[in-house]
Amino acid sequence: MSTENKSENIILDDEKALVLDHDYDGIQELDHPLPSWWIATFVGTVVFGVLYGMYYLWAGGLTLEEEYAQDMLKINKAKAELASKVDVFDQKAYSTWTTKVGLAKGAEVFEENCMTCHEENGKGDIGPNLTDEYWLLSDGTAESVYSIVNKGNEDNGMPAWGEVISKDEMYAATAYVMSIQGFEHKSGAKEPQGKKIPRK
Amino acid sequence: MSTEQVSHQGEMEQFSYDDKVVKKYILASLFWGFAALLAGVTIAFQLSSWKFNFGLEWLTFGRLRPLHTNAAIFAFVGNAIFAGVFYSLQRLAKARLFNSFMANFQFWLWQLIIAGGGLSLLLGYSHGKEYAELEWPFDIAIAIAWVLFGVNILGTLWKRREKHIYVAIWFYISTFVTVAVLHIVNSIEIPVSLMKSYPVYAGVQDALVQWWYGHNAVAFFLTTPFLGLMYYFVPKAANRPVYSYRLSIIHFWSLIFLYIWAGPHHLLYSTLPEWAQTVGMVFSVALWAPSWGGMINGLLTLRGAWDKVRRDPVLKFLATAVTFYGMATFEGPLMSIKSVNHLAHFTDWVVGHVHSGTIGWNYMMVAGIFYFMIPRIWNTTLYSVKLANLQFWTATIGLLMYMMSMWTAGITQGLMWRALDDGGRLVYPQFIETVVKIIPMYWVRAFGGVLILIGFMFMLYNIFKTIQQAKKEEEPVYQAPALSSAKPEAHAGTHRKLEGMPMVFTILALLAILVGSLIELVPTLTSHKYLAQKTFMKPYSPLELVGRDVYIKEGCYVCHSQLVRPSPDEYIRYGTVSLAEEHVYDRPFQWGSRRIGPDLARVGGKYNHMWHYKHMIDPRAVTPGSIMPVYDWLETKKYDHKTLRKKMKVMASLGVPYSEDEIDNAIENAKAQAMGIANELSESGVSKDIADKEMVALIAYLQKLGADVKQAIKDGKVIDKAGGAE
Repeated sequence: MSTENKSENIILDDEKALVLDHDYDGIQELDHPLPSWWIATFVGTVVFGVLYGMYYLWAGGLTLEEEYAQDMLKINKAKAELASKVDVFDQKAYSTWTTKVGLAKGAEVFEENCMTCHEENGKGDIGPNLTDEYWLLSDGTAESVYSIVNKGNEDNGMPAWGEVISKDEMYAATAYVMSIQGFEHKSGAKEPQGKKIPRK
Repeated sequence: MSTEQVSHQGEMEQFSYDDKVVKKYILASLFWGFAALLAGVTIAFQLSSWKFNFGLEWLTFGRLRPLHTNAAIFAFVGNAIFAGVFYSLQRLAKARLFNSFMANFQFWLWQLIIAGGGLSLLLGYSHGKEYAELEWPFDIAIAIAWVLFGVNILGTLWKRREKHIYVAIWFYISTFVTVAVLHIVNSIEIPVSLMKSYPVYAGVQDALVQWWYGHNAVAFFLTTPFLGLMYYFVPKAANRPVYSYRLSIIHFWSLIFLYIWAGPHHLLYSTLPEWAQTVGMVFSVALWAPSWGGMINGLLTLRGAWDKVRRDPVLKFLATAVTFYGMATFEGPLMSIKSVNHLAHFTDWVVGHVHSGTIGWNYMMVAGIFYFMIPRIWNTTLYSVKLANLQFWTATIGLLMYMMSMWTAGITQGLMWRALDDGGRLVYPQFIETVVKIIPMYWVRAFGGVLILIGFMFMLYNIFKTIQQAKKEEEPVYQAPALSSAKPEAHAGTHRKLEGMPMVFTILALLAILVGSLIELVPTLTSHKYLAQKTFMKPYSPLELVGRDVYIKEGCYVCHSQLVRPSPDEYIRYGTVSLAEEHVYDRPFQWGSRRIGPDLARVGGKYNHMWHYKHMIDPRAVTPGSIMPVYDWLETKKYDHKTLRKKMKVMASLGVPYSEDEIDNAIENAKAQAMGIANELSESGVSKDIADKEMVALIAYLQKLGADVKQAIKDGKVIDKAGGAE
C-alpha cells in the first residue's frame, strides 16, 4: 500500500510535465489548471448572486412582506367568495341532513373534528356538554348552532370551522348536535354551563 | 526508516512521532460514535412510535435528540478530527507533537466534557440552542480544550522541519481559528446558577448569532477539518499526486471566505432583516463551486487508481465520502434558494440533507482514515477486508434508505402544509394529518439507521481484532534536515512564500472569516430596534419565565417552531405572521428548525388550560394519532422557584424592565398566577395540588405565546398585514 516515499507514487504519462517540486510526507502535487467548467460555475453563481442581490436590495424587487400582501389579496378574495356562500343558513338545505343518512354523516364529522373537546356523544370536557338544555352561546336553534360552528368563538376557544370544513359537513354536524339532546351518558357528563334554553 | 534520502546540505535531526495520543483519540471516537449512533437509532424509532419514549423523562425525544447531535458532532467526529489531525500534522511537519502532555490533558478534558455534558443533557440542563446546548461550565471547558488543540497545531508548526505548510494544514488552521471565534461569540451568557444561564442576545439577535454559529459549526467542524484530512489520506492511500495545487489554493480561500456568510439561510422568511437573508442566500449559492473544488481535487487525485478503490477498503470509504460530500454541497445551495427553502425548511428534507453530510461524508471519512491509521500505528494489518466491505455496504444502503425516506417525507409534508383549496381553505387543516402521512417513512428511516449502526459494529469488531493482533515495536525514529537549512525556492510565487509563514497564514485565515462575520452580525447586533424599549410586549411574568425554562429543559424546540412565516398557508394555519418585536424578551430565542409538531408562536389562548393539561398527560386523548411523548411528570414535579429572583435579576441586568418590586415579589406573584390556573383546572376535576408543579408554569408560558401580539392588534398598536391591503 502506501509509503512515506514519493518514488512509489503512480504518475500517469500525461501528468509527468505537471509534477511540482513539492513533497509532503511523500505526497506530491500536480499543476493542473482549474477545470473550465468549474470556473464557469463559480463565475456564474457569483454573477447570479450579485444580480439577485441588487434586484432585491435596490432595484425594486418585492420584499417578503410585499409578496405576502399580494398573495393574501388573492386568498382573501377567494375566502370572501366562499364565506358569502357559507354564512347563509338555508333551512331547506339543512333539513336534508336531519335524515338518518344525514345524521350518520354528522356523527362522522363530529367524531373527526369535535370530539377532541366535546367528547363522545357530546358529553363535554374541554368544550361544554352539548346534550343538556344549557347553552353558552347559542339560543338553541339549529341556525345559531350552525353560525357558531361556522364562525367559532375566540374567547371560548371554539375554532371557526367554516374555514376548515365544507358547508355540507357543517350542516351535518349541526344536525347531529341537535339530535343528541338528552342523550343518556353512562358516566362523566360535564355539568351544565350557561343559560337554560330548551332546543327548538 | 527515513523520510528522506540523506541530503548533502544541512544537519540531519532525529525525531519520532507521538502516536500514543492518536491511539487514544481513535478509541474514544469509536466508543462515542457507537453511543451517538445508538441514540440516533433510538430517536428515529421514537418518531415512528411514541412508545419508544418509554415514559421516562430523561429518555424522551426532546432530551435524547440534543444528546444524539452533540455526541455525533463533538464526541464521535471531534475525537476523530483530533486523531487525524495529530497523526497527519506531525508527518506533514516532520516534527513530533509540540506538547504531548497538553494533547493528553486536552484528551481527558474533552472526554470529561462529553460524559458530563451528555449526562447533563439527559437531566434537562440545556441552553436550548442547537448544537450549543451544553451549559456554561461546559462552554468554558470546551474553549480551554479547543485552545489547547490550537496551541499544539501552531506549536508543532513552529518546530517543523518542512519549510512549506501543505494544504491539509491550511484547513486545520482555518478550523482552529474559526471554531474558536464561533464558540466564544455564541456562548456569551450570564450564569444564573451552576447549571443555568441566559444568553446576552435576545430574539432576532440571538437567532442571527446562533445560526451564524450553527451553520459554520457544520462548515468548520464537519467540513474544513475533513477536507484537510482528505488532502492527506487520499493521496497517501492511493499513492497518487494531488490533482491540482492551483485548485487547492483557489478553493481553500474562496471556501472559508464565503462559508461564513451563509448562516442566515437558516433564517429565511424569518424576522431577520431581509438584506441579511438575501446575503445569506446568495453566498450559499456561490459556495457551490468552492465546495466542489474540494470534491474535484479529491476524486481526480484517484485518476488511474480506481482499480485500487475497488479492492482497498480505505479508498472505498474515502472515495464514497468525497462523492457524498459533492452531493450534499450541491443540495445545500439548492435548499438555500428562498422559494425552495420555503418548502424544505421545518421538514425532514433538512434532516436527510444533514445526514447525507454527517453519515455520507464524516462517518465514511472517519472509517477510511481509521482503517488507514490503525494498522500503521499498531504495526499490524487489518483483521478483515471482507468485514470492512460488509460495513461499507450496510452503511451505504442504510444511508440511501435514510436520505430517500427523508426526501419523501419532507417534500410530502411541506406540500401538505401549504395546500389550499379554491376557497382559500387548508386542504389538510389538522396538522396531525400531515404527521400520520409520513410515519411509514419514519419506519424506513429507522431501519436505515439500524443498518448504519450494524455496520458500525462491524467496524468496532474489526478494529478490536486488528488491535489484538498488534505487534509490539519500538517507536520508529525518522530523520530530516533542520528547517534552518532549507534554502529559499527560486521563482516562488506569493502563495508559495505564504506557505512558509504559518503565523501570517493563520492571521490571514482569521481575517478572511472575520470580514463576513462582522458585516453580517454587527448591524443587527448594534441596532436598538431589536431591544426592549417602547414595545407592546409585556415581559414574561415570573411564572411564565419559569414555564419557559421548563419548555427549554424538555427540549420542546426540537419538535415545535415558534415562527410564523409570511405566507398565506401559515397565516391561515397559525395566525398573524411573526414580528421582530415580539421576540425582544426571548433569551434564548426558540424559533426551532423542525416542525415535527405544529408551530406554537400563536398557541396562547387557542386552547383552554384543561386542553393543555390533558395534552401533556396523554397527547393522544386530545389529538388522536399524535406522536408526542407523554409528559406526565410535569404533574408531579415542583417548579423551581428558588432561583426565580436570581433569574429575574439576570434578565433585568440584560435590559428586561423588571422593577425591584417585581423581583422582590416574584415568588408570591408566581404563586398567585399558578393558583388561578389551578383553580380553573380544578373545575374539571384536577387536584389543586397542581398549583406548585411544572405543569402550571408550562401552561402559563404556552398561554403567553402570541397573546401580546393578539392584544396589540385589538388595541390597534399593530396592524395585521394579512388583510393584504396595507
